[in-house]
Amino acid sequence: MNVGGTKIVQYLITTLVLLTLNFFLPRMMPGDPLSYLLGDPGADAPMLLTEEMRANLLEYYGLDKPVVAQYWDYLSGLARGDLGWSIYYNAPVGSVILGRLKWTFLLGGTAALIYIALGIVLGAVSAWRRGSRADVGLLLTVFSLGSWPPFFLGMILIVFFSYHWGLFPIGGAQSAEAARIGGFAQVKDLAHHWVLPGLTLVLTYLPGIYLITRNSMLGVLGEDYVRTARSKGILESLVLLRHALPNALLPIVTTVAMRFGFMVMGTMFVEVVFAYPGMGTLIYEAGAARDYPLLQGAFLVTMIFVLVLNLVADLVYGRLDPRVRRARA
Amino acid sequence: MHRVDHWLGVVGWGLLALFSLAAVSAPGVSPHDPTAMHAPMLPPSLSHPLGTNDIGQDILSELLYGARFSLLVGCLAAGFSTVAGVFLGVLAGYYDRLGFVIMRVVDIFLAVPRFPLIVFLAAFLKPGFWTLVLFFTLFGWTKTTRLVRSQILSQRHDGYVEAAVAVGVNDRRILLRHLLPGTLSVALVRFIVEFQHVILAESGLSFLGLGDPTVKSWGSMLRYAFEYPTIFISDVWIRWAAPPGLCITLVVLGLTFVGFSLETRVNPRLNGKRG
Repeated sequence: MNVGGTKIVQYLITTLVLLTLNFFLPRMMPGDPLSYLLGDPGADAPMLLTEEMRANLLEYYGLDKPVVAQYWDYLSGLARGDLGWSIYYNAPVGSVILGRLKWTFLLGGTAALIYIALGIVLGAVSAWRRGSRADVGLLLTVFSLGSWPPFFLGMILIVFFSYHWGLFPIGGAQSAEAARIGGFAQVKDLAHHWVLPGLTLVLTYLPGIYLITRNSMLGVLGEDYVRTARSKGILESLVLLRHALPNALLPIVTTVAMRFGFMVMGTMFVEVVFAYPGMGTLIYEAGAARDYPLLQGAFLVTMIFVLVLNLVADLVYGRLDPRVRRARA
Repeated sequence: MHRVDHWLGVVGWGLLALFSLAAVSAPGVSPHDPTAMHAPMLPPSLSHPLGTNDIGQDILSELLYGARFSLLVGCLAAGFSTVAGVFLGVLAGYYDRLGFVIMRVVDIFLAVPRFPLIVFLAAFLKPGFWTLVLFFTLFGWTKTTRLVRSQILSQRHDGYVEAAVAVGVNDRRILLRHLLPGTLSVALVRFIVEFQHVILAESGLSFLGLGDPTVKSWGSMLRYAFEYPTIFISDVWIRWAAPPGLCITLVVLGLTFVGFSLETRVNPRLNGKRG
């Protein structure tokens, strides 16, 4: 089997492990999921289940059947896209999640594009000018920024930019008024709401990308082929762009891929701080309301998403490196 | 000439020493029991240098005890996962068959998005101190194992190891005396990175209300401050939300500095002059 095939099998096994965990975890809790839900006095939101909701829940968990049958129902339900029934929203979990995903993509996706691109550029410059004032300055700035936990950084930005200076909204993804008008006004409003949470994410994850690029570039710049290129008298910028950067990018792809999970969670923290209506806020709310089916569904979607991203990065890595590609052909 | 990474390391160790000292001496130096209730929302005074929170607990005392919790979870989890990672990595590098099995398990663990999974587990299992340590250990060893294994693979055929094999030294002694010492620098860097990761993750969990509710931690302090309705309108956040946030930031910063200076020293590719 080729490398790509092995990878896919490996990811399938991981997915199955996660699915199984997702199935057993609520059933492993003391009592059954229903009694846990109903009898928990510590719940932040008291839950009043109607007969219909109760029936929905009972049907979802299928607790009267043997475990193997429950497990089969769960897997075949997932295959049909049935993620269960949300207690808090009294709606299918799948549709609740779908309504939130776009906001997480908007916030996390655009921010990721910015910090990945910016991190690579700054890291490359820093490595090229190693030991210079620019390098040291960048290192220090990036270190001091990267140590802030995203939720705390977000709070500080809110205090100054929203409360003190009134420049940006304190939270949310859009205002109702702009959403009603639509068109350019809506785009402007969305961007306005994006700035603070987006900035928090960029500042949080830029340092990681910057450091990997810098380290990777430093390694590559010492290689023989870079020395050869230099000794041929090629323009320094060409040496960097054509000879050094492409080789330095390979480890960056892997490291970025391995951090996807962390970045996705970071987006969720930032969402909670800014009350941004994405997946993170959804998980937070579901946790507070003890809406376990929703919590399970949201995590499943998050983890599958991260797994797919990782798999894609793994496969792309093989394609990117001609040495790996040719070795396979 | 002192290079950047040298004095960054010095600052880093200084910060860590400072916080460790605070954590160790918390019972002696904190002005109050962090769970005792005084009058709520007291402004700073001699008796309460940072005032009290919404239920009347002394904020400075909370902060000092929070250092204990955060640092202890981080240190233990990072320590356990590094030791486990080195142990399995050495075995995986030295014994081929066992190595194959270990590396397949590593592959599965590495593919799991570990942070979302830890949050998920925490949401269901409501972890206490040792459960948290267990989670972070369970998901923290794999990278170390992979690095240590490749280190062992490259050392295995070095002259001094082959010589030891040739004179009939037993496996245990070869592993402990000849192979293990070479992996210690990798292990140290991994310990620092893991420590940092756990501190951030643990405070994140507590911030989301998924940590141990009975224990004072910096993350849970931030959570309660953040949930206080008028926290950002007045200047209360400066003495309530900012201190725990800054503590997390400074510890992570200290670890970053230490890790950076160690990594530069350990990794010859970063150490050499360019070109």
